[in-house]
Amino acid sequence: MADRSYAAIKERLEQRYSVILDGGIGTEIVRRGVRWRQLGLRTDSDTVQKVHEDYIAAGADVITTDTFQLTQRLFLNLFHNLEHMRHIGRERLEHQAEELAIKAVDIAKRARGNQAKGRAVVIAGSIAPIQHCYRPDLSPPYAEAQREHAETAALLAQSGVDLLLVETMNNSTEAKAALQAAKRTGLPVWLSLIPGPGGSVLSGESLADVVNALEPLGPDALLVNCAPPEDITAAVQVLARHCKVPFGAYAHVGRYDPPSWKFEFHPQFVDTEGWSPDRYAEVADTWREEGATIIGGCCGTTPDHTRVLRQKLVAVEQS
Amino acid sequence: MTPNYEPIREKLAKNEVVVLDGAIGTEILRRNVSWADHQLTNNPAVIRSIHEDYITAGADVFTTNSFQLARRFLLNHFRDIDHMRRIGARGLEVRAEGLLRASVELAKEARARAGKGRPVAIAGSITTLEWCFRPDLSPSADQARIEYREIAQVMKEAGADLVLLETVNNVMEAKVAMESFREVGIPAWISFVCDSEGNLFSGETLDLAIESLAPLKPDAILVNCAPPNDITAGLRFLTSSASLPTGGYAHIGRFDPPEWLFTDEFPPEEYLKAARRWIDMGARIIGGCCGTTPGHIALLAKSLR
Repeated sequence: MADRSYAAIKERLEQRYSVILDGGIGTEIVRRGVRWRQLGLRTDSDTVQKVHEDYIAAGADVITTDTFQLTQRLFLNLFHNLEHMRHIGRERLEHQAEELAIKAVDIAKRARGNQAKGRAVVIAGSIAPIQHCYRPDLSPPYAEAQREHAETAALLAQSGVDLLLVETMNNSTEAKAALQAAKRTGLPVWLSLIPGPGGSVLSGESLADVVNALEPLGPDALLVNCAPPEDITAAVQVLARHCKVPFGAYAHVGRYDPPSWKFEFHPQFVDTEGWSPDRYAEVADTWREEGATIIGGCCGTTPDHTRVLRQKLVAVEQS
Repeated sequence: MTPNYEPIREKLAKNEVVVLDGAIGTEILRRNVSWADHQLTNNPAVIRSIHEDYITAGADVFTTNSFQLARRFLLNHFRDIDHMRRIGARGLEVRAEGLLRASVELAKEARARAGKGRPVAIAGSITTLEWCFRPDLSPSADQARIEYREIAQVMKEAGADLVLLETVNNVMEAKVAMESFREVGIPAWISFVCDSEGNLFSGETLDLAIESLAPLKPDAILVNCAPPNDITAGLRFLTSSASLPTGGYAHIGRFDPPEWLFTDEFPPEEYLKAARRWIDMGARIIGGCCGTTPGHIALLAKSLR
């Protein structure tokens, strides 16, 4: 089953047709009025499922699980140590990330069952940086990163995702560690980096150098995401020059508006109106012209963005 | 010193019990509102009514809704200030200061509405600069000094009667914070989070904390944000070594990040039993931390005075 779903996507990529990745998951859950806790998985799983269904209905070929940064460390970080977590934390908190990740994959499968209607829709298991995605300085050393990413990757693979999307990677060390860990599951792996301005990675490393270092490790595609469209455009030009594997992009729209409590990444973006679905599709089409074949949306984008994106990119290919 | 702190100081000097309020953050959640933005501008009525409920319950001192509210907590979500300016919401750089002022303004409004002429002091809540349970993340002393001073200055200007540095987890931060509070010129209570043995998470002892702070003359030393038994363990050190007023406020229930799980382990009557132990040990400032409610504070105020 898993292999068959991805085979259709792989074929499209080989023929250099566009593959549509979904849009923002966390920001869309929050936009629908959900109070953000445990990624909505414990309290609002119906909304999470509806978001997936809406992306499938809008034409996404690939949907991503609601598992961004969902690891044991997300909760452990807020305690002195594991013993302290057991002492003052909710019962079974140390197992919560694992239990919720399994649930997140189930929700994605249910959404596909309800909405795919015979169309090939791939479920990508989202794997994010171990620490805050915008803080390359907090990224753990290679061995630690690889061990933790391997646990997440294995869990998502066992739960039945078709593909692993290692996304929002902010530096080469953790990107390599996560890519190698994900590859070990035997699933196809897409790896996406956060670009900084001017063709860099958020860490300040050269995007071209990082791409050259990652390609030999066998990613099935390389992407850039979670930066404003203008930074994504600059980064896509670098990918176009350096990637031999299929490449793609998904930008965030609006401005990151974190809460005044420091509790890890909180998917709240404001001032998103400046990037209407039409305007977003226009800029995404320039990425396609550069050779990008995987195109979607990151934080702040909605199923409407996906719908217009699909109409625009597919129309171009059919003309 | 503001006229509102003087009666509190007198009570403590006379060895009388001073009642501190209970939880703010978890009380916001219990009222089914998210605490994501402290709700100071989105939902000020909820915050004000929580303050009013604690004042009506009999708190002598109540805290502003400003735990974990400082420039650093927003900047921490970005690679650096340039990244914040590039992708962050407009006004994020100055948001913390505005919210800090708003937290004191709301507290003043609540006192005007519910104080009924009784002396009630507003404590500006300030916490560990990074994360209350993670001493390993503490910034350098020089950096901490700058930031504590900045926060205390805003608190003073906005009209807080004292500052309550709470859930502080290491001696260095407590010391530089206390120095900043003295420079700014505002009464200050210092409250440490302790483990089940009554030690700091940094591995330092409360005895060391007391010894290091003594020359700076904090107005009181307390322990908070641990279960009642752990607070008892911490108070054993505080009440035997400190020559200053001491106090404690425990959390009840369970931390369920990013929120709180309320349990029925410590209803007001049970919490009162723990509080009575602390009074017997010599503590004089008693309140409640995460999970406690105006119901807990009402029973403390009625029974301990």
